[in-house]
Amino acid sequence: MALRHLRTIRVVTSLLLFLPALFIFIDLTGIVPPAAVTLFTSVQFVPGVVKLFSGLALSAAGLALVVLLTLLFGRVYCSTICPLGTLQDLFSRLNRKRNSRRRFLFRRQNYLLHYGLLGLTAALALGGSFFLLNLLEPFSNFGRTVVTLLRPVALLLNNGTASLLGTAHVYMFFTVPLHIPSPVAFALTSIFAGVLFTMSYMHGRLFCNTLCPAGALLGLMSRVSLFRIVIDKAACKDCGLCEKVCKTGCIDSENMRVDFSACVGCFNCFDACPTVGLRYRVSRAGAQESSIRPVNRRRRTLLRGSVGAALMVIPGKDTLRAVLPVPTGKSRSKLPISPPGSGGTGRFTSRCTACHLCVNACPTQVLSPAFLEYGPGGILQPRMDYTLGTCNYDCVVCGNVCPSGAILPMFPEAKKLVQIGKARFVKDDCIVITKKTECGACSEHCPTKAVHMVKSEGLFLPELNEDLCIGCGSCEHPCPSTPNKAIYVESNPVHLTAKKPESKKAEPQLKPGADFPF
Amino acid sequence: MDRRTFVKQTVGATVLAGTAAASGRFSRLFAAVPPLPYDLVAVKGGEPDAMFDVAIGALGGMTSFVRKGQKVVIKPNIGWDVTPERAGNTNPKLVARIIRHCLDAGAKEVYVFDHTCDDWRRSYKNSGIERAAKDAGATVAPGHSEGSYHPVTVSGGKVLKEAHVHELILESDVFINVPVLKHHSSSQLTAGMKNHMGIVWDRGYWHRNDLHQCIADFAGYRKPDLTVVDAYLILKQNGPRGVSLDDVVSLKTQIVTTDIVAADAAAAKLFGVNPDDIGYIKIAAAQKVGRKDLENLNIKRIAL
Repeated sequence: MALRHLRTIRVVTSLLLFLPALFIFIDLTGIVPPAAVTLFTSVQFVPGVVKLFSGLALSAAGLALVVLLTLLFGRVYCSTICPLGTLQDLFSRLNRKRNSRRRFLFRRQNYLLHYGLLGLTAALALGGSFFLLNLLEPFSNFGRTVVTLLRPVALLLNNGTASLLGTAHVYMFFTVPLHIPSPVAFALTSIFAGVLFTMSYMHGRLFCNTLCPAGALLGLMSRVSLFRIVIDKAACKDCGLCEKVCKTGCIDSENMRVDFSACVGCFNCFDACPTVGLRYRVSRAGAQESSIRPVNRRRRTLLRGSVGAALMVIPGKDTLRAVLPVPTGKSRSKLPISPPGSGGTGRFTSRCTACHLCVNACPTQVLSPAFLEYGPGGILQPRMDYTLGTCNYDCVVCGNVCPSGAILPMFPEAKKLVQIGKARFVKDDCIVITKKTECGACSEHCPTKAVHMVKSEGLFLPELNEDLCIGCGSCEHPCPSTPNKAIYVESNPVHLTAKKPESKKAEPQLKPGADFPF
Repeated sequence: MDRRTFVKQTVGATVLAGTAAASGRFSRLFAAVPPLPYDLVAVKGGEPDAMFDVAIGALGGMTSFVRKGQKVVIKPNIGWDVTPERAGNTNPKLVARIIRHCLDAGAKEVYVFDHTCDDWRRSYKNSGIERAAKDAGATVAPGHSEGSYHPVTVSGGKVLKEAHVHELILESDVFINVPVLKHHSSSQLTAGMKNHMGIVWDRGYWHRNDLHQCIADFAGYRKPDLTVVDAYLILKQNGPRGVSLDDVVSLKTQIVTTDIVAADAAAAKLFGVNPDDIGYIKIAAAQKVGRKDLENLNIKRIAL
């Protein structure tokens, strides 16, 4: 096979993977089954690595595939599987004005920045704070960009169509509630998207070799890849075309060297080479033959120092928590509530890459990106917001789509016993007390009857059985009391198990065969 | 020619002869409406569909309510994401059978919807009603979108003066209310009138401003042309959602009437409570929305 075909294969593969990636984040009505989403996301690198910490064997298969690919062919992941990579290529293509003769130039990679960031990111993540990881990780940034910026557009289009057809009583489409994204989520995501756009528009895959932790880690692996791109000094005509099409700037045509650790495997160079001056060859000794020396001694020392320093500064999550501001929130609940299957806020925040797949998939749209509720490390990680909706009793979608294992998949029967928080009743704010009329909206919606109504001074007043409460918000959301809800859910920082609701078998008032009572 | 075909054709001819343009609401002006033989029909001992066949037959068939070319909206209770045997929602077999009767009577379109409490798509699906209604030939419409609800004045309402009502209720010629009889933690009992909370948007207002009064007020706004109370399986406790099958009791009964207050009074007695103990029944009767004095009504009782 001619090497120039590799580029075509790469382009086709990347688009075949990019379009589904785009769709699963704007799938407003859950067309894609969760199993398909899981299969698709299982090859996403960072979520896969994070998932390892949850001990999920299935995810390891996808991760192993990525590692194997990298060890064989270098960072082909970055040009095919990574949706943010393809997005950058699309941005980069927009730059038509780029001088066609001198498009890209060799660029000495900033290893200090890239590996330094990787070290710091990893250290923070291991320490329990996903602050840097979630700020830089490509898959989740892609997800957030789509969910925050594109999904609302798709939603408006959908709702417009649904409303138009609805007036003719055609219900092929239906409206999906639009929750205005939190200003913070919107601002942060817009900034990221803006930075990414500028970087890729101006400099191709600059992000991948400066900020991306996945790129850095895969780059380290690709240093020992079996197949590597090298310049065949005998065949090379020294035309420099390969360098001009290299969007990572990893080809130094002047010195006939390729920095393969920075190469994202786009194969543009093979396509551009007029001869067979570029080879993709088995090269265990390739390093001497063609590669640029990764780092000089001084830089290496600096790198080691910075990673070491980072590790010392952040020895563990307890220390981390101590220096971070106390989480605050507008909700009556003092602490944020993490979704069922996440084990609790501590585990959740150190497993969630904030890709927002669950935010899109949640049918009741109760999952909302946090600001500082979880602390700075938990920015944009979703939390349960009962002003928006309730957690539907039998629904387990979020756990089924979560790619990082932050929300573990559960059977509905198990989920129905997970207590993510406990309801708190503020009697003095209750309609039954303040207005002296019946209400009972809380008990009506409560799926376990943890909130039940008892007669009190001629009216029915809510009463709580905490053991049965699962913290789903079915009481808080419909509570009509203003300005403060009379019933709300207080978080369980570590999720507990609720008691299974039991009741006596109901007896009919009328015996079978009895006459009509009227 | 059987009776049903005869009635259908006669009615159809009357409508066509009356005026070619007569359609929708106006067709009633031209079609002679015979007085119904009974105020209320109660059936017991059969399957939901079979009981409805008998009950509607006793009232002269669906043609007594639906004329050719009319638009019908059927409002079952689809409030909860539970399966039919949990009795949280109206029985799907009953809904399907009512749809067929309407279509047989010449209805142009039959719509089914509810403003659910649980996630609407899961409730529509898991209640079995979406599938059953579609198979029976109805159009299943969403009820979750605020844009479908339009403001109306509730004339005669003591507390509830205004409500946002679903457009299908406002547009349809015939409104058939098909509640399921259940215990209810807010209103003690749910059947006909309480089921109307699923055709309005802002239920919170009702809960905030004297629930029983609001339910009764709204019952006077648009009385259904027919109320069919599904008491085949009833939730005897832990209503309106129910926690487990332990809450369900088999009653195999059905009430069909044009009087929504009578429907609720009879339903209360089936459930085993005094209608006078249910706030909204008492208020609605006092406000002359309908009658709760079952002893003075002409009731047809049928045991299968």
